[in-house]
Amino acid sequence: MIKIRNLEKIYRTEEVETVALNKISIDVKEGEFVAIMGPSGCGKSTLLNILGLLDDPDNGSFLFNNIEVANFNERKRADLRKHNIGFVFQSFNLIDELTVFENVELPLIYTGVKSGDRKKRVEEVLDKMQIMHRRNHYPQQLSGGQQQRVAVARAVVNNPKLILADEPTGNLDSSNGNEVMTLLTDLNEQGTTIIMVTHSEHDARYSHRIIRMLDGQTVLENIMV
Amino acid sequence: MLKHYLKIAFRNLAQQKVLSGINIFGLSVGIACFSLFLLYAVHEFSYDRFHTKADRIYRIVEWWEGGEREPGGYAWAYTPVAPAMKRDFPDVEYAIRLKGSDCIVKAADKVFRTSITYADTAFFHVFTFPLIYGNTNTALQQPNQLVITQEKALQYFGTANVVGKTLELKTDSAFVPFTISGVTENIPANSSVKFNLLGSFEHIANDPMVQQSNMNWYMTIGMQAFVQLKPGSRLASEQNRINLFRRKYYPDDYKPKKNPTKEDLIQTSFRLQPIRDIHMNPTIEGGNDPKNIWILITIAGAVLLIACINFTTLAIGRSAGRAKEIGVRKVIGSQRKQLISQFLAESFLLSVLSAATGLMLGSLLLPLFNQLADRKLSFSFSRFPELIWLLIGLIVLVGFLAGSYPALVLSAFKPIEVLKKKVRVGGSNLFTRSLVTLQFVLSIGLIISTVIILQQIAFMRTKNIGLNKENLVMINTEHIGNKRIYPLYKQAIENNAGILGVTASEMGLGAGEGLMGAGYRDFKGELKGVIEYPGDYNYLNTMGMSLIAGRYFNPALASDTTGAVIVNEALVQELLGTTPEKALGTQLLNAKGNRGTKTIIGVARNFNFEDLKQKVRPQFYYRPSAFQPSRIFVRLQAGDPGSKLALLNKTWKKLVPDAPFEYSFVDEKFDNFYKNETRWSNIAGWAGGISIFLACLGLFGLAALAAVNRTKEIGIRKVLGATVTHVAGLLSKDFVKLITVAFAIATPLAWYMMHYWLQAYAWRINITWQVFALTGAFAILLAVATVSVQAIKAAIANPVKALRNE
Repeated sequence: MIKIRNLEKIYRTEEVETVALNKISIDVKEGEFVAIMGPSGCGKSTLLNILGLLDDPDNGSFLFNNIEVANFNERKRADLRKHNIGFVFQSFNLIDELTVFENVELPLIYTGVKSGDRKKRVEEVLDKMQIMHRRNHYPQQLSGGQQQRVAVARAVVNNPKLILADEPTGNLDSSNGNEVMTLLTDLNEQGTTIIMVTHSEHDARYSHRIIRMLDGQTVLENIMV
Repeated sequence: MLKHYLKIAFRNLAQQKVLSGINIFGLSVGIACFSLFLLYAVHEFSYDRFHTKADRIYRIVEWWEGGEREPGGYAWAYTPVAPAMKRDFPDVEYAIRLKGSDCIVKAADKVFRTSITYADTAFFHVFTFPLIYGNTNTALQQPNQLVITQEKALQYFGTANVVGKTLELKTDSAFVPFTISGVTENIPANSSVKFNLLGSFEHIANDPMVQQSNMNWYMTIGMQAFVQLKPGSRLASEQNRINLFRRKYYPDDYKPKKNPTKEDLIQTSFRLQPIRDIHMNPTIEGGNDPKNIWILITIAGAVLLIACINFTTLAIGRSAGRAKEIGVRKVIGSQRKQLISQFLAESFLLSVLSAATGLMLGSLLLPLFNQLADRKLSFSFSRFPELIWLLIGLIVLVGFLAGSYPALVLSAFKPIEVLKKKVRVGGSNLFTRSLVTLQFVLSIGLIISTVIILQQIAFMRTKNIGLNKENLVMINTEHIGNKRIYPLYKQAIENNAGILGVTASEMGLGAGEGLMGAGYRDFKGELKGVIEYPGDYNYLNTMGMSLIAGRYFNPALASDTTGAVIVNEALVQELLGTTPEKALGTQLLNAKGNRGTKTIIGVARNFNFEDLKQKVRPQFYYRPSAFQPSRIFVRLQAGDPGSKLALLNKTWKKLVPDAPFEYSFVDEKFDNFYKNETRWSNIAGWAGGISIFLACLGLFGLAALAAVNRTKEIGIRKVLGATVTHVAGLLSKDFVKLITVAFAIATPLAWYMMHYWLQAYAWRINITWQVFALTGAFAILLAVATVSVQAIKAAIANPVKALRNE
């Protein structure tokens, strides 16, 4: 599903040049659950942003479902993103002005799904995430775990092929964190590919494979048994 | 999608109550202001369009150009010209002459002063003034028929259906009965042709002056004439045909002259002016300059712009707070154009809400605006259907103007940067600072202009114009056998306590009173206009006008009524080129170059009988032998005029029971010269006040945002020992800098504009630096006071809380 080769990302200021990704090459197959680990500043989040088509690389190749997307413009990236990729963030990133239902509905609006269908799909997902009873609440009225469940619901409502999770349990206590990891595992078992950046060895154990990074390069891969 | 955008927009409005309030209130005030000026402009440009045949109605004007003269026209019509046009041009369907006159009306034993207009019979075939009662075909057929407006019918009879009733009118020496043949709807405010009573031209056809003017193609008697052309006629643009017509009736004007003077070089022609052009064509006497309307619209536009700028700066100011939302939307798949649409939808919603409240506010303010603009306007979409489109256009314009920049800036945020909080967009980028500066440039400029206009008006009102205009009452004695009344009235009142003097004149004084003049030759033989002022023997002394040479008129000398004149300084200087003493005994040269009719017996100090835009023109005073005073002047003792006016009224009622006692104070008549200036100063004052209020409102919001955006910085500074004053100063400093820059820009601009404006006045003030210094200080103080409220609030907040929030 994902094939990146010799990918480079360099951040430049007037005086300093920081190599965030240094000719990195990674493959991720459809249905895989991959965790990316490494110390702060090793390039995990940069990699995740490029994989999520939020950022573009300076050099190298990025094949997404065998299509070269490294040089896509903003419009094409947005189009590909909204149909194929769901995001889960450490800080949930729900829109405070929208209710739970409306937050989850938003990706469907951008993909042009009709109102009746939207309602049905949002309710299905909320039900699945066991957050239906909070559908009319605003994010600030929910606990952290509940907010992250809404974020996961929003990430999956469009049935994306890929979910990118950036430290999804970073802001949660262990009980809520486990709940979210279980949700992601369930999704993966249903066929969704998941790439997760994490600092937590505990969370990484939910994945099939751990890619360890240092200074913009992969240094080790662990296959989980 | 739109529903979603609107939902978000509503929630944002509800969540940010203070900022939304500032935006909606500011935009409402801006829109109210602009819509009132828009209504005024639409009204001014709608003049005379209500006539169903307006496209075929033309006014006959006389056009002068050539020599040293600015090209321009006069709307006076010579009595025989309109009928001759009807005779000579087959394309003229109707020709209508209108002759106005003052009159006294007697109805049900009450007397009123009003005006009557005499018109040719086909009047109602040409102009669209629907009759409520009566028949347009027969209403003006008989010489003693009269059409009356509904307003006058109600005033005189208390009912509108007055057809068949009799009204007695006095335009000369005796009351004449007229039969009312029709009642019209009230004349629309946007009509150039206005009347209270409409009589048949036939009624005055035998008047000696009208008959004389009918024979003399050069004699004007204050008449206007209109023609209605047949459909398809192009006569109005076929100037050659009109020129040939004039050549036929004025052959002498086209004969070559041997030694042409400057006046001979002026070419005169007749032109047909479209009726819809009358109100807004300044090249023809009485027409208004559309430039003034555009100035008003520009002022209103500036106020609206200030309100729009508030929206823009506040939207950018709180963009940091919306960055996360934008980032999330982009991550989820929103494209930039969708975000632009969303932000524009928000500004359009705001624009619609503001327009709704703005129009309500405008309707509430309309009576005040009518007072300011001296109009009777109403928000009537049926009368001005174009208002609907203009207002929709205004909403769209405001939506775009206010929302486009924030939409472009916010939608350009990079999602990763905003989600990682790397973007810091606050209220202090260069664009925002420029906009705030622009707001204050406009506000300070308007305030400086207002102060200077007010100073000039005060100067004109209080300047010693050469006569004592205080405590001087002017009584109208037209159409009441004035020759007989004046001596009786004078005798009856002059020895009463509180009456210091009584005199009379054949002319009034002050605005709207008219002047009489003739051409005289100066010492070089050039023709110069001289104002002739016929007054009683004691006119100059009663008016408080002093002589600098010679003597006043003496009733004991018969020669003083047969050619003795007292001239003013300007006449001595411009016509005689000598000293006042040497001028005594000089005989004036009339236009034909003859002497002997006017001999100077005295020289009076210059007196500004016109407004102070004009220099004092050459003038002389004389006592006609057949004195027909139309105004009596009574000098009252200073103090409460009530009892003295009661005496004047009581005496009048006794002597002249069949005419109303109509008086005015001469100082007010002179003040009326400056009605336009007063109106302008009121409008500029209001606009200046509103604009600085709106600018401060915006500043208030920006200061609040600055305090929020700098919460962490303020917290750290306080932890490190900063005092409340220090923090308040920190936040205020940036804004004060902007106002200072705005003041530096506004000062030369306002000075230049007002210097240019003052050039129109022969008598004017000097612009002083104090005006600028005080306005600048006022603006800065106001800004500091506005910002301080927020700054102090931020400064006294608990720093621990601020840091914890971060």
